[in-house]
Amino acid sequence: MGICKEESEEKVKSFYYLIYVMGLDLKLLVEPYPITISELSNKIVAVDAYNAIYQFLATIRGPTGELLTSTDGDVTSHLSGLFYRNINLLADNIKLIYVFDGKPNPLKLKEIERRRQIKQEASERYHEAITEGRVEDARKYSQATSILTDKMVEESKKLLTLLGIPFVLSPSEGEAAAAYMTKQGTAFTCASQDYDSILFGARKLTRNLTISGKRKVPNKKAYMAVEPEIIEYERVLNQTKLTHEQLVDVGILIGTDFNPEGFVGIGPKTALKLIREYGKLENIEKIKHLLSDIPYQEIRNIYLKPETPKVYNIQFNEVNYNSIVNFLCTEKNFSAERVNAAIEKLRRSISHRNQSLENWFS
Amino acid sequence: MVFLAKTKSPDEWKAVTSAISTLVDEATFEATKEGVSFRGMDPSHVALIDIHWPNSAFQTYDCDATIKFGVRVDEFSKLVRRADKKDAMEVTVGNDSMLHIKISNSYRKEYKMRLIEGSSSSTPLPKLNFNSKVVLTASAFDKILSDVQVVSEYISIESKHKQVQFLGKGDSGEADIIIESGSEGLEELDVQEESKGTYSLDYLSKITKAVSTAGGSVAAEYSTKMPLRLEFRVANIGRIHFYLAPRVQD
Repeated sequence: MGICKEESEEKVKSFYYLIYVMGLDLKLLVEPYPITISELSNKIVAVDAYNAIYQFLATIRGPTGELLTSTDGDVTSHLSGLFYRNINLLADNIKLIYVFDGKPNPLKLKEIERRRQIKQEASERYHEAITEGRVEDARKYSQATSILTDKMVEESKKLLTLLGIPFVLSPSEGEAAAAYMTKQGTAFTCASQDYDSILFGARKLTRNLTISGKRKVPNKKAYMAVEPEIIEYERVLNQTKLTHEQLVDVGILIGTDFNPEGFVGIGPKTALKLIREYGKLENIEKIKHLLSDIPYQEIRNIYLKPETPKVYNIQFNEVNYNSIVNFLCTEKNFSAERVNAAIEKLRRSISHRNQSLENWFS
Repeated sequence: MVFLAKTKSPDEWKAVTSAISTLVDEATFEATKEGVSFRGMDPSHVALIDIHWPNSAFQTYDCDATIKFGVRVDEFSKLVRRADKKDAMEVTVGNDSMLHIKISNSYRKEYKMRLIEGSSSSTPLPKLNFNSKVVLTASAFDKILSDVQVVSEYISIESKHKQVQFLGKGDSGEADIIIESGSEGLEELDVQEESKGTYSLDYLSKITKAVSTAGGSVAAEYSTKMPLRLEFRVANIGRIHFYLAPRVQD
């Protein structure tokens, strides 16, 4: 008897799945190795901007899942994440380039609509939970409600500019352009939570770069350490014994952003087995009748021949300390004490770096 | 026995261990037929010590193959300090992964110290050209550093053809010391190009105090806004070089 206060375990779990494993589920097929942030020192990292900013909007929230705001009610979670995280990365002398999404491929519209619905549903459940005083549930659902507005994108670009961090605009997917930059050698690695980057041919993908060192374990009152890790294209292909083309086919079987449903009953393991056995999608007997409904040739092209950004005039600039304080503290009501402490840390590390003997080696 | 080195006094080991202790907690020495060397940087890579101690400087020296041995500097230093000035000292590395230190005068005492895993990476040397060279007695140099440290955390060294100037500036005031060629304590001044460099006094005075107890003189070489190299000319140690990155003003 009595009202069940907490949502069923299953439902909440599925929301977690949607929040953290949006995009392609390649986790079982890749073997990442851990790295420390300082190993990326002096290297260029192309960051999937939308991916990072969504992470900030999902995780930088108050106790009941409310977003951080200025006194005017403007959302500031994205700025908080961009500021504190990038300050740390810059202090480690990592050369960041943010890559923003351009126009989504029409094939992605279905996925975008699916995500919109998830957000709407999550938003309804969030408000229900708030009304009923279920704080823990409210916090969980809130994470799936994040909407990135044009204003937030503009503010993010402004803050990056003040931090001296260059950004580029991808013709289509941000991660495609970031992956391309690792292919032509501009960047050492790209950074995203999304395994799609490997399908786009990224030579190295760094995960967990822009999220903090701890993440709550779903449905438990415990935290686990989240360490940055690298996934290597060559290693993935070697270990799975697949070509790039075949890896993309595996992705299509599991379900990508461009065919989110995938194929009923085919998960990562089965997909890998099928492609290893049959070589490519067209040869798999049991899905032949389903294949005509999926624009698989187009999807292959999205990954194998993505539109690439044309202009590269990338410059890493000086940090504009005063304007940052103005923007964050005066306009957005950030704590001046915390902002100044972070800035001081960066300043010290930059002046220290100038003092190092390393400039005279080589 | 893999390595044996005997000196008439503990002074050289004292200078070497205290110099190294200003930069690192753990040190890896390399011993070859030619002698003993050490090279290492502090964790922030601002300063570097490069030591080479040739076999000829020892009373007895025996090392057939190249070996590396790692020590905790403070532990090693503590043991070395148990020797009096006139005690002869024998340092050996046996096959038992221990460092043996035998100190003898009227009677003999022997310490054994556990070796630690040595570092396998090697430290490069900065590539530098020096436009100015100032040689001072160790005691004069130490005094100048202390004089400037009263008001400042940094020292600027400005060399001209006939004089060298040491400057410091802090919240409380300024220090200005001028030494002309021919002055007592200034052994040599060689200026190919007038130079000015600014360096951290913390690093400079620590290393100078550590090494100058062994006496001798200090050669400071540098160029404008470039790293400084101190050469401590201590009897019986071939080379003690200390490199320090310049301070870059904001």
